Amino acid sequence: MTTEAPLPAHADHARVRDDLLARMAGASGRYLAAVALCGAVVAWALFAWAYQIRGGFGHTGLRRPVYWGVYIVSFVFWIGISHAGTLISAILRLTGAGWRKPVTRAAEAITVFCLMIGGLFPLIHISRPWLFYWMLPYPNERYLWPNFRSPLFWDLAAILTYLAGSAIFLYLPLIPDLAEIAERSSGLKRKAYRALSLGWTGSSRQWQALERSMKLMALVILAIAVSVHSVVASDFSMSVNPAWHSTIFAPYFVVGAIFSGIAALVVVMAVLRKLMRLENYLREEHFSKLGKLLVLMSLVWLYFTFSEHLTAWYGNRPLEMPALHLKERGAYGALFWAMVACNFALPFVLVGIRGLRSIPTVVASSVAVLAGMWLERFLIVIPALERPPLPSAWGAYAPSWVEVSIGAGTFAAMALLYLLFVKAFPIIAIWEYEDGASAS
Amino acid sequence: MGRLRAEFSDPESAAAAVDALAAAGVDPRAMELYSRRPLERYPDALRRKSFLSLGAVAGAIAAGGGATALMAWIQRDYPLNTGGMPIVSGWSTGVVSLEMALAGAVLGICVMLLWESGLLSGGGEADPEGLPERGAVLLVSCSRREAAVALPLLEELGAAPRAGAPPADVPGTDNLY
Repeated sequence: MTTEAPLPAHADHARVRDDLLARMAGASGRYLAAVALCGAVVAWALFAWAYQIRGGFGHTGLRRPVYWGVYIVSFVFWIGISHAGTLISAILRLTGAGWRKPVTRAAEAITVFCLMIGGLFPLIHISRPWLFYWMLPYPNERYLWPNFRSPLFWDLAAILTYLAGSAIFLYLPLIPDLAEIAERSSGLKRKAYRALSLGWTGSSRQWQALERSMKLMALVILAIAVSVHSVVASDFSMSVNPAWHSTIFAPYFVVGAIFSGIAALVVVMAVLRKLMRLENYLREEHFSKLGKLLVLMSLVWLYFTFSEHLTAWYGNRPLEMPALHLKERGAYGALFWAMVACNFALPFVLVGIRGLRSIPTVVASSVAVLAGMWLERFLIVIPALERPPLPSAWGAYAPSWVEVSIGAGTFAAMALLYLLFVKAFPIIAIWEYEDGASAS
Repeated sequence: MGRLRAEFSDPESAAAAVDALAAAGVDPRAMELYSRRPLERYPDALRRKSFLSLGAVAGAIAAGGGATALMAWIQRDYPLNTGGMPIVSGWSTGVVSLEMALAGAVLGICVMLLWESGLLSGGGEADPEGLPERGAVLLVSCSRREAAVALPLLEELGAAPRAGAPPADVPGTDNLY
């Protein structure tokens, strides 16, 4: 890691660029250890997946009546976190928030990686991943088409659209920086970055087209992001399960996604700040502003959670109450109140009170929110399945080591992808940061 | 035809120079401004009409319409048991139609961006490595007569002198190349 002297807040443009590019070069022992650790966990998860493929779903904790477990919980969780990047970046870009500039690329990268990871879970969950292509609309030999009425097919369309859009949204503002890297490289590396920069020259024609397209892309991406989590919510709300058949599920899921996305962004920023010594770029003001957004979303999340549970409780429908009781005061009662503490009490106190707001408290609250949001997904999925209409069919679910390993592996995969990304591309948009610094 | 290269330490001056040259009769299509960062203000002469929105709308209609037609055909071709519900319904196919329309819009924006920026044809003619850290470089493709008009204007507007061999066919470009 670079140990250069700290940069002033509005440093010379060339120095900012050289400083950011220098952080991509070389790898410290700490970095290599992190890569090795993440790689080992991912390798273990791949082994667990292979074990599951070989032996079948009997190796999981999925039993009648619970056929959706950690895989679907993790799928919803990761797709939710993916809203961190593109959605937050798009909102801040459209509202002209100048402070977003050091934050946006880190956020956009989160989206792409989370979607890649989240998109894996349906593959893992179908147990026979090599038959995935059956989902695609092509006339096969048995003349069976996908069922377009199924929300699971909607997922496929929505997530692929979001992944493609987010990857492009990440790539477009990278182009000028790729040209900068190419200019300062030689040999094969230079050729590779030059090719990736598509021959960018920095002409006013190119800048105008890029700026216009980013604004337009931000608008489209906003629509995609909202639609994607609404579609994920429809996996549940379109079912006849009384605990899921709710009209507010789509906005509830979108709110939860933005909430967990902000928390993920804060955690990633904190790690990058330490690991890459980005203290001059990711400053206290960024954490403070994201912390305020976190508290706002915490309140909105609480409002939706209260509305959802109040309606269910007041309805007192025999088919719905067992799941509600199981969640609130049964076997999952402790998890439910832990979720409320993580998602509301902690951020509200640690970040909402100005005197307590600091980088460590914002980061601690964000970690709590991530844990709380994973619990929230778990508590939406599992109790509802454990309490089907016939009491004789009630059951319980406990994840197996295979599911836990694969779930943990995806966290390591996320970290690994990020570690590799920050060495290949500048994690802060150089031209945007310069633009922001000069405009300040 | 030769080329003038004028380097400005201040992007504002570069933008003003472009407008001044355009007012003096230099064809705006023959001028291009290069910089390492986007300009605060683009010269009026270099503002181009954008078809990005049109590309987005066209992409959305094409992809959304195509997907809807494909789904309608497939569902009629092999009707599933829908329990009395319509075989083809806007409600159920609408989600996929919307997603495909949005995907088409993204694709449309991308294609138009590549086209409008010239990146489809491999970027521009300028060598980006010659760009100054700050400021901007103006390249003008012009005749000897236009160069004679442009040079005093450029010097007056703050073009920085720079050492180097002038283009052979443009007279009087000793301090600009």
